[in-house]
Amino acid sequence: MNAPVVRLGRAASFALLLFLPLPIVVIGATSFAAAGYLRFPPGELSLRWYAEAATDPRWLEAFVTSLGIAAVVSVLVTAIAFAGAYACHRLRPRWLPAFELAVMSPLFFPHAALGVALVNVLAMAGYLGTATGIVIAHVVCTLPFAWRPIVVALQRIDGEIVEAASLLGADERRIALGIALPLARSGLVTALLFSFIISFDEVTITMFLTGPQVTTLPVQIYAFIQENASPVLAAISTATVVVTLVVVMLLERLIGLEFFVAHDPA
Amino acid sequence: MRGATSAPRGLGWLLLPALLVLALFLGSVALLLFHAFWNKDGFSLIYFRQILDRPDYHDVFLRTVSIAAIVAVAAAVLAYPIAWLLWRLPRWRNLLLVIVLVPWLVSLVVRTYGWLVILGPKGFLNETLKWAGVIQSPLPLIFNDLGVVIGLTHVLMPFSVIATLSVLLQIDNRLEEASESLGAGGFETWRRLVLPLSLPGVFTGLGITFLTSMGAIVTPILLGGIRQKMAGTQIYQEVVYNFNMSKASAWAICLLLLSGLGLAFLRAVEAALVPKADR
Repeated sequence: MNAPVVRLGRAASFALLLFLPLPIVVIGATSFAAAGYLRFPPGELSLRWYAEAATDPRWLEAFVTSLGIAAVVSVLVTAIAFAGAYACHRLRPRWLPAFELAVMSPLFFPHAALGVALVNVLAMAGYLGTATGIVIAHVVCTLPFAWRPIVVALQRIDGEIVEAASLLGADERRIALGIALPLARSGLVTALLFSFIISFDEVTITMFLTGPQVTTLPVQIYAFIQENASPVLAAISTATVVVTLVVVMLLERLIGLEFFVAHDPA
Repeated sequence: MRGATSAPRGLGWLLLPALLVLALFLGSVALLLFHAFWNKDGFSLIYFRQILDRPDYHDVFLRTVSIAAIVAVAAAVLAYPIAWLLWRLPRWRNLLLVIVLVPWLVSLVVRTYGWLVILGPKGFLNETLKWAGVIQSPLPLIFNDLGVVIGLTHVLMPFSVIATLSVLLQIDNRLEEASESLGAGGFETWRRLVLPLSLPGVFTGLGITFLTSMGAIVTPILLGGIRQKMAGTQIYQEVVYNFNMSKASAWAICLLLLSGLGLAFLRAVEAALVPKADR
């Protein structure tokens, strides 16, 4: 093909790609602007919005709550997904396709509908407006995301290793914890980090579940935007971007990002 | 990893935690149905009838479906060249993938706030255009449907990129080489070979972005303002401000039905466009 057309196509595609991080970059730039808003030409730089955010206990509290909830959710959901996926993998029950469809089914719910459904059940159990309630809801929502990488990792394990271990007298417990668990670690790490970041950044469903006792960082950001869009929000938002970036880089270093674009084997 | 050895025993209990989570989810759906059809006076269709009777509610659902459809198509069209770029530059793919994944994983409230800062009446874009002398008064870019469409399209584009790219990566390189050695130009090869083969990924992306737009709350409230209601914002209002779980549940069920219809329609279009062997 004529080279100029290709080059033009590439340049346009690249411009579109840079459009994706644009709002995040703008927020990052705003957070360092002394004036508190972004303008062209740029004004003086300062860290005053970060100082203001750090001295407000409400932000620190929400930040710690979000990190704590995300940590608990990621460990819980990874353990649940590994146990379930491993049992399915070994037992191959006849109802497996139906079961996996059920596990994936929250993905087919628009978030607003999922939010109402979870409010109903958590209110009945008395967990509305508590950290426990948010953890439960996040586990339900992140299970599909933790399930898939673990199933893929289990499928990659060489069956003969398990058979050999079994012939040599390893019991089920030994096979599960000594062979499957370490060999599936790429799936476990992906599930752990992926569910962590989803939980940490989730807002649409969580904002149905927070209360006066407990709120998460994204929900508090939402509430503050509605009240008064102070430039402190830019500093806080940049902090959440840094957390996300760290987790993505960690995933890239440890496992690679191929999982996200791997074709669904199902 | 199943061997010739007999079926392993004593593993069934490992399924219990996952079954518990599933039961919780299915229980919440059952409660949703219960609240939608039963209130303190017993069985009632009052909120469904209200949705059918009130023209302003028709408008909300119509706006929700229209915005979701526009956003899904816009995200697919804008995401395709990005997916194509990542596919054609394997050496840079990891770095470029980070540029796609980080905005996708950053909280959508943060990304929406970014658009508020850019598009607002005193935002970056309006101030810059004013400074450059292009405009006298700020352009109304947010607190209307345009703002919601811009925000949602941007928020959901990474989904489309990922769905399309994962299908592009399945294409056998030799097919392309064959096409070009038979004399087809680069564009011709793309139009007649790559595009049809990548359509299933485009449709997956369309489905995800449509579904997510249908249930969106935060972006429509922040960029659309209070008056430009979507189904999600109405549901949120009923739960959080009016404590009307029956009405919210009825709305959620209508939203679910409409989303299902939309997805079924997408499937039908895909079936008509994509030859069966490619799906």
